[in-house]
Amino acid sequence: MTFAAREVTKAFGGLTALSKVSLELQPGEVHGLIGPNGSGKTTLLNLLSGYYKTDGGAITLDGADISATSVQQRANIGVARTFQKPRLLPTLSVLDNAMLGGWRDARAGFLASAFSLPAAREDEAVLRRRAEELLHGVGLSRVIGRRANLLEHAEQRFLEIARGLAQRPRFILLDEPAGGLTPAEIEHLGAIIRVMRDGGIGVLLVEHHTDFVFRVSDRVTTLDVGSVIKHGTPDEVRLDPEVIRVYLGA
Amino acid sequence: MHLSRKSISILIVMAALITLPWWSGDLYKLHLAALIGAYWVLIGGLNLVVGYSGQLSIGHVGLLAIGAYCFTILAGTHGVHPALALAAAGGLCGLCGLLLGLPSLRLPGFYFAMATLAFALIVTEITLAQGELTGGGIGLAVPGFPAPFDTPQGSYWLILAIAALVTWLTWNVARFTWGRGLIAIRDSVVTAQAVGVPVFRAKLTVFVASGVTAGVAGALFAVLQSYITPDTFIFELGLFFFVCIIIGGRGHILGPLLGTVVLTALPELVSPLARLGTFFYGLLLLVVVLLVPEGIGRVFEVVVEYFRPRKPESHVVNPDLQRLARAIQGSSRK
Repeated sequence: MTFAAREVTKAFGGLTALSKVSLELQPGEVHGLIGPNGSGKTTLLNLLSGYYKTDGGAITLDGADISATSVQQRANIGVARTFQKPRLLPTLSVLDNAMLGGWRDARAGFLASAFSLPAAREDEAVLRRRAEELLHGVGLSRVIGRRANLLEHAEQRFLEIARGLAQRPRFILLDEPAGGLTPAEIEHLGAIIRVMRDGGIGVLLVEHHTDFVFRVSDRVTTLDVGSVIKHGTPDEVRLDPEVIRVYLGA
Repeated sequence: MHLSRKSISILIVMAALITLPWWSGDLYKLHLAALIGAYWVLIGGLNLVVGYSGQLSIGHVGLLAIGAYCFTILAGTHGVHPALALAAAGGLCGLCGLLLGLPSLRLPGFYFAMATLAFALIVTEITLAQGELTGGGIGLAVPGFPAPFDTPQGSYWLILAIAALVTWLTWNVARFTWGRGLIAIRDSVVTAQAVGVPVFRAKLTVFVASGVTAGVAGALFAVLQSYITPDTFIFELGLFFFVCIIIGGRGHILGPLLGTVVLTALPELVSPLARLGTFFYGLLLLVVVLLVPEGIGRVFEVVVEYFRPRKPESHVVNPDLQRLARAIQGSSRK
């Protein structure tokens, strides 16, 4: 079971953002994606989650080409993501925001919900229990009933992860999850990422905190101006002269 | 039996509304209450479109007119049983909602609003032009409901029952998964897509539902008016429905209900306001948009939160990793 970009190319007007980039994500591994600003990290993430369509190459899941599928279809086959700037529903509670992740599993249709049929109420109970457990798990139990617009920055980031996990993903794509977190919060984030990995989820970690990426990743891919310059274990990447030259510095 | 404070207040309000014919004093106030009920049947459904999914429809008066004419033509001209005519009005307007929504719900907000505006204007012109069907500018007399709903009290109770049903249905939609999905479409389409909400289909579903309630409301409204002409369905009425929801607050059921009651009743009961007419709506809208942009529903929430005992604030995020691991294992896909 592999979620992969195979030689994908993406251009915006005359600017080639990605050129023949390949990346494989396995279940139960943390794959770090690093690179300077503008190297195409977020573009690759948007191609994987379906917000952008590829200009060349393919996005595959278990070998099947899913390049043409919509964002929603990818969510349905098990791809979740978080955003660089957390995208929560500001007027809803923390619990409701997490439960939104369970949309796919709510089997009751519009009319069943409107008439409050048993199917709708059962869906609701299952989703609520799952969301509560996840929120306790990521450490948001104290703010479970609070409106999302009243959350601190770190709480917003962790809530996005809980919402992603409520989707029961096989793969989760994290777009700069450590951005704006304190060192202690980054430690918690690292622990949560390891738990996700041990739970069999494939984690793609797009991040600027390279120390953090090298610490929690099993494999690391480095991008520069739209191309992969190095791919390997954290140690191989950290010591690569090209990576040091364009990104890490001496 | 244990009753929460919430269900007790609902029971009290329902009891007051059911007994209204005996304490309202005069028939005019009863008529006004029935009119509010008929409006609410439309606004309650429209609330899912405007207040929840954030689609700015200002043309529901067109659907109201179609429902009203459908009921009047079927029950009056063709002698169909009023209950059947009522259902037909709902069904026809649901279909109209589908036909209007299919092309227009893909448009960005402003253009969607313009499409609904155009729809309302077209409906008015058609009711004028199709003279032999609608009576043209002369209009049509509307048949009443059959016994036991043929008295002012009876029709009030019928409308009250339908309005209560609509409130219950929309409340259910709002509190379950659908409500969260619709609010996601309103506040962040990107998030809605990320969790798998089929954005267009969800918008279309609530739009069709709002068409059905608008059709039913049209029939009820027609009976209360007892005579309808194209002038009964002026465009300002469509704006009025929209304003009730904005003043009541988006993402609430109770707020827009209160907005409907206040905006319908106040100008009628307080005579100086009646002279001000539309000026009163404009002023109220301005005050709400400037001072409480989230509407009067939010004001209530804030007041309730203020009096609720508060726990000390703590923003320390402290994950429980074992529990997280169990939660992930317990829900993993096989």
